[in-house]
Amino acid sequence: MVRNNVIEVNNLIKRFGHVTAIDGISFSVSDGEIVGLLGPNGAGKTTTIDMLIGILKPTAGKISIFGKPFEQNRGEILGEMNFSAAYINLPWKMKVWENLYTFGRLYNIADYKSKTNELLKEFMLEDLRDKFMRDLSSGQQARVYLCKAFINDPKLLLLDEPTAFMDPDVADTLRKLIVKKVQERKTTVVFTSHNMAEVTDICDRVIFLQHGKIVAEDTPIALAKKIRFCKIRLLITDGQKRTLTYCRKQKIKARVEGRFVSVDIREKEIAAFLSSLADIGVDYDEISIDKPTLEDFFLKTARGN
Amino acid sequence: MNGNRILAIVLRHLYVWPRGLERFMWSIGWPMVSLFSWGLTASYLQTFSSLSISITTLILGGIIFWSITTRSQLETTVNFMDEMWNKNLINIFSSPLTIGEFLTATILLDLIKLVISVSILTITAYLLYSLNLIGFGWYLPLFVINLLLFGWSVGFFIIGLMLRLGGRNIQELAWALLGFVAPFSCVYYPITSLPVWAQKIAIVLPTTYVFEEMRRFMFSHEVYWENLLLSLALNLLYLILSLLFIFLMFEKARETGNLTKMEG
Repeated sequence: MVRNNVIEVNNLIKRFGHVTAIDGISFSVSDGEIVGLLGPNGAGKTTTIDMLIGILKPTAGKISIFGKPFEQNRGEILGEMNFSAAYINLPWKMKVWENLYTFGRLYNIADYKSKTNELLKEFMLEDLRDKFMRDLSSGQQARVYLCKAFINDPKLLLLDEPTAFMDPDVADTLRKLIVKKVQERKTTVVFTSHNMAEVTDICDRVIFLQHGKIVAEDTPIALAKKIRFCKIRLLITDGQKRTLTYCRKQKIKARVEGRFVSVDIREKEIAAFLSSLADIGVDYDEISIDKPTLEDFFLKTARGN
Repeated sequence: MNGNRILAIVLRHLYVWPRGLERFMWSIGWPMVSLFSWGLTASYLQTFSSLSISITTLILGGIIFWSITTRSQLETTVNFMDEMWNKNLINIFSSPLTIGEFLTATILLDLIKLVISVSILTITAYLLYSLNLIGFGWYLPLFVINLLLFGWSVGFFIIGLMLRLGGRNIQELAWALLGFVAPFSCVYYPITSLPVWAQKIAIVLPTTYVFEEMRRFMFSHEVYWENLLLSLALNLLYLILSLLFIFLMFEKARETGNLTKMEG
């Protein structure tokens, strides 16, 4: 099935004075796709998102959304998309329903009252509709932000670290709500997060930014596979020195981490390695074998290895 | 211009209006405090006066009319700052809302609140000091329009400066700028009371003509139309310039990233 591009970014550049925040990136996002923007702090993720929602103007390059140039069709395009981020708020002296009615009107939703009720139910906020924003917990506030983000049933949703600063339980609940809504509506999503497990879980594709450039672009699993080494952790009861000597001789990377010895090794060499340890009389109580993850790729790329 | 979006901003600010003492004080509280304290002072000074008209009327007329300018300026800028303080600027400007719709909403909000606050001030001034603003007749709406327009121009100019230089750096101007303009506007005294250099500033302020004509009406029950028209012409010029400035600064803020930095 041929899918249309919802976002097309061509040679996008953003400079602040002499600092180049975004350095000529190009990418596209297809209809219904969930794309993660990843990268270390200062890589340009939020700058990219800010340009996509129009509150920041590119220095050069083109952004087209829904097949239309963004600047020339700003109002029309913004009406079909929405946005939420960890670093923005809703007015704290307003009640939950007042905020959602306001955004319902801003997005020209004909029956914004019913839409508000529907979202409050879906996001389990019905009991809180008359509460002031200031009286909500951060998890409850985040759910209200998401209600705001879904108020116009956006075709395109931009989420900038929506689960940042949240405890794992609340983040997990939110993540599930987002995925449910997005799958129901076939919404196209651009998503930034520092939580690699979250990105792996949610995103179809990841665009990795560093110093304002795209340094990698693939599915989370394919990116993780670019790290060829698995990590074996052994709680050795007898033969730690022998293990380290063996690894040194075989040029296998090994280090002591507390009570464990951690070894980086190719997946296909694991069996031979464990067999060799048995041959030299090494005993271990615990063993864990971790396949490379997106986080490993992130760390490796961010550290420039 | 979309009516729904304008209504959204109007209602959003009306929801919070009764919920903060500071909003009440800005709209009604402080003008009432001025009215009481200056009314009493002027009543006392009246006992030493040989003027043909009441000093109380002169001073209180100035206070109420000047409050129209200060309220309209403050309303415009405070609504913008309220979005900034609430970290809501990105939310509203990442929706289809335009800066023009936002400004239109602030003007409507100003008119709604002004009707309430000026009505309260006018009734209080009448009950306590027998000052009857209705006595200005058809000149009254002309005075009010000119004072409103100047308040909006100054308000838009301050928002433009906030967009350019950062909200936190400039927000004090929302309360201070008209304080600097007031002495040159001749709110309580004629333009001839000013030194010559200050008169050169006063003649380019539309408010000066309003207060000059207010006093002329109080003394002689006549008004020089040409002065009110000059005031209107200056106001329209400043309004156009302030609108150009704010639209330009909004675009500039989108280039520099100030719109996002103002949220921090």
